Amino acid sequence: MNDQLTLMTIVLGIIHSGIRLATPYLYAAIGETFSQRSGVLNLGVEGVMLMGSFFGFYAVYQTGNPWLGLLAALVVGLLMGLIMGVVSITLKAEQGISGIGMYMFGLGLSSLLFKTMVGSVEGVEGFSELRFCVTDTLCLADVPILGDIFFNHSIVTYGAFALVPLAWWILNKTTWGLKVRAAGQNPEAVDSLGVNVDAVRYVSVMVGSALAGVAGASLSISLLGIFQENMTNGMGFTAVALVYFGSWRPYGVLVGALLFSGVNALQLWVQVLKLNIPSDVAVMLPYLLTIVALALPFRRSMQPAALTKPFERGEN
Amino acid sequence: MKKVGLLILLLLMLVACGGGDAADEPAAAQPAPVAEATAVPEEAAPAEEAVEVSAEVDVADIEAVRIAIVMPSTVTDLAWSQALYDALVRIQTEAGGEDMVEIAYTENMFNVTDAAAAIRDYAADGFNLVIAHGTQYGTSLFEIAPDFPETSFAWGTAVDTGSEMGLENIFAYEARAEEGGYVNGYLASLLSESGILGVVGPVEAGDAKLYIDGFVAGAIAANPDVKVNVSYTGSFGDTALAAEAANTHIAAGADVLTGSAQQVVGAIGAAKEKGVIWMGTQADQSPISEETVVASQLYNWDGVFSDIIKKHQAGIYGGTAYALTLANGGLVMSFSDALDADAVAAAMAEGDAIAAGDIDVNAVVAGEQTAVPAAEEAEMVYPELEPVRIALVIPSTTTDLAWSQSIYDSLAALQDHYGADNFEIAFSENMFNVTDAAAAIRDYADDGFNLIIAHGAQYGTSLFEIAPDFPETSFAWGTSTNFGADEGLTNVFSYDPRLEQGGYVSGVLAAYLTESGVIGLVGPVDAGDAKLQVDGFVAGVHAVDPDINVNISFTGSFGDTALAAEAANTHLAAGADVLTGSAQQVVGAIGVAKDAGVPWLGVQADQSSLAPDSVVATVFYNWIPTLLEMITSNQSGVYGGKSIQMTLANGGQQMIYADSLPAEAVEAAMAAEAGIIDGSIEIVAEPRN
Repeated sequence: MNDQLTLMTIVLGIIHSGIRLATPYLYAAIGETFSQRSGVLNLGVEGVMLMGSFFGFYAVYQTGNPWLGLLAALVVGLLMGLIMGVVSITLKAEQGISGIGMYMFGLGLSSLLFKTMVGSVEGVEGFSELRFCVTDTLCLADVPILGDIFFNHSIVTYGAFALVPLAWWILNKTTWGLKVRAAGQNPEAVDSLGVNVDAVRYVSVMVGSALAGVAGASLSISLLGIFQENMTNGMGFTAVALVYFGSWRPYGVLVGALLFSGVNALQLWVQVLKLNIPSDVAVMLPYLLTIVALALPFRRSMQPAALTKPFERGEN
Repeated sequence: MKKVGLLILLLLMLVACGGGDAADEPAAAQPAPVAEATAVPEEAAPAEEAVEVSAEVDVADIEAVRIAIVMPSTVTDLAWSQALYDALVRIQTEAGGEDMVEIAYTENMFNVTDAAAAIRDYAADGFNLVIAHGTQYGTSLFEIAPDFPETSFAWGTAVDTGSEMGLENIFAYEARAEEGGYVNGYLASLLSESGILGVVGPVEAGDAKLYIDGFVAGAIAANPDVKVNVSYTGSFGDTALAAEAANTHIAAGADVLTGSAQQVVGAIGAAKEKGVIWMGTQADQSPISEETVVASQLYNWDGVFSDIIKKHQAGIYGGTAYALTLANGGLVMSFSDALDADAVAAAMAEGDAIAAGDIDVNAVVAGEQTAVPAAEEAEMVYPELEPVRIALVIPSTTTDLAWSQSIYDSLAALQDHYGADNFEIAFSENMFNVTDAAAAIRDYADDGFNLIIAHGAQYGTSLFEIAPDFPETSFAWGTSTNFGADEGLTNVFSYDPRLEQGGYVSGVLAAYLTESGVIGLVGPVDAGDAKLQVDGFVAGVHAVDPDINVNISFTGSFGDTALAAEAANTHLAAGADVLTGSAQQVVGAIGVAKDAGVPWLGVQADQSSLAPDSVVATVFYNWIPTLLEMITSNQSGVYGGKSIQMTLANGGQQMIYADSLPAEAVEAAMAAEAGIIDGSIEIVAEPRN
């Protein structure tokens, strides 16, 4: 069956789907990388994504301007990050539990706001695919093979991929990146050099959270053009897992996100091609892969040493 | 460490307001209850005693008078209440302003007890004439009037002045709305090209019933083959529902619409949007839409109330019943200039014949009653219920455009009918965690809810554990046929939407729509009603053409919108040109269908709001019959022990077709519906993977 489908169609389909699906994971997981590298595990990514998703949608719904939507999601993410910072850095709450609290807060509030401010699922015109048209009829997006892979995505998707080298450069080549890494590895040493550990962590958590907000908006105003309650459906938690998978390195996260999205896209094709594999197994594939990767023993050693540990000045 | 303790407390509070949001705000989005007019027996009596008066304001030599109105809606309702208020304002202007005619009014008196209090207050305050502007106020009026013998009271729609009870200070008034209704109906038939007319009524009583009866009779008089679809919203003020009713009529092919009560502003908006003609009644509704409101029956109360004022000042405080008719000018027909002149002339000739007494609309209505099956069909029979409290535990949200929303919408429609006081709804959303759901179910049972619906197959085990502890509470769950008979349970219902039926019908439709011979289906998991849909859909497609390829992909999740969108993209890449799917995740897939311009066949809830051009057909879950069966069973002391199926035959599933579909495809789909209902089509699932 489906013999009219060439192998090329299938491979291109998987790649194209995989790139699109990776977009929200990249924003959320790269953001979480900053947060974790500074020593703060933010499990509330899912809740922040939902808030970003709603506010991004709502801004576009009201104004019709997708850029304002992106800005709204960014600001809401920053604010959520500030709350997380107060709770986990200043008040030194247990990070795992406060993250779950952030998740519940985001889930509940975004649902409540949606119900009262919008009411029913509606569509908006968000970011559309850039097709890189040279003239009216000649578009790079129409170039065989390369067009679909490289030139047929929205600006938000390009942003997600551009974020990876940027994050790598910031973390590894800037002074601030050094402070972030040190705050997560040996906060006492950072403190002894007169650098404010809490400030570094605040900024990292807020930047991470702002990116999570953008991740949510990438769903509601770029990929889908709708908002639905609880629409992130666990993506935030997957993003946290991807940070572990990627060993807290931006390029590792990129590989993880692409792998996870690619396998997800693959499993859709497995079903369409009616390969004799039960759909349940196909659905399981991406998660199976993640578990295997997480279980690899050498990764533990790369974990920031002070992750989840609140910094208590002068304790030792 | 103190800080940490404090913090956990704070977090628990956050969690509480995050997770439990829905349970605490049951049906916050519900409209305020709207009391409904009850038909008064006198209604049917012919208005023999009605007095004919002029239609003109005639108050040249009156003394100062104080008038109070108690009305069910507002003075700006563009309908029943505004028609009266405008007349009184004209009288006031003519008589010399506020010093001569004082007008006081109380709006939105949908609660009859409140209205009674207002009527008594006005009478006690020395108003000369107190008007209770609704049939529902009659009983109260008859109790109050004897206490104020020198105050005049008036009410309508009514012909009973209480003379049999010895009352002498009550006027009654009515509009013979069937007369203008007949003229409107006659004109509508002449203007309609599709031969289908739609009527949006409030409740089948009073003025609305008269108007609609007349409309149907007039439509049939002009064209015996015309189809008049009548739907009652069950409310006077539910604008949104009226708009939906209008949309439904338009979807069913109607190209001329009418309706009554203040709710119709919603319907007029819907008609305007679709460019469909609207015929108004009561007040002039053309300000909403000059182009589409083309004919109106206007109520002119000027003469009636001029006469009442003069009688009052002559010492006659009541005893007269008035009627607005075409003959006495109380009913005025107004037509847009844009209309076909011949049609208008023909309709006006009918109006003249009614005014001259050559046509007796009531006789026509009586004679034609059986000839109007469409009007009968559209009525929904609601049983009498005692107050009931219903709790709903759902895996997603009430706005998911799918499984959860479908049952919530039916509950909300029932609440709309019975009123929030008699029909309480509480719900807990996002209960994807079964343990949380079990806790919520137990809490609701403890709290004394009569019926607790655990809306997912995953909740069965918990339900069976909890049910024995609350023997007089009814529990319900689905998709399932197991009501716990083996466990000895007597208070559990199960329900089971036979989605293979609707799936089959949409499969037939899909087979007609596809040109590429490839159809894509985006399912959540291969279980429950999603599995049934797939089984039926594939069978339906292959019943039409066994060579069509149905590609099925399950996302493994109910809510992964992004993955569902990718699944839809995958299907498109694999050549599919018709898509379908189920669960709340599909909003993502519908967006993809919309962008690609391919048709989407929806199930569960009506998803057309999201992509009106793409969602061309829907297998709609109507839970009302199932819910009513469970509630009435509960109230008769049978708390469970039944498995209820939702089928095409019993109306638990309804097909909605868009106008844009090719006639041939819809005919084939409707034939499949008929075949499933009469049993001539048997759906056999094909083996998969």
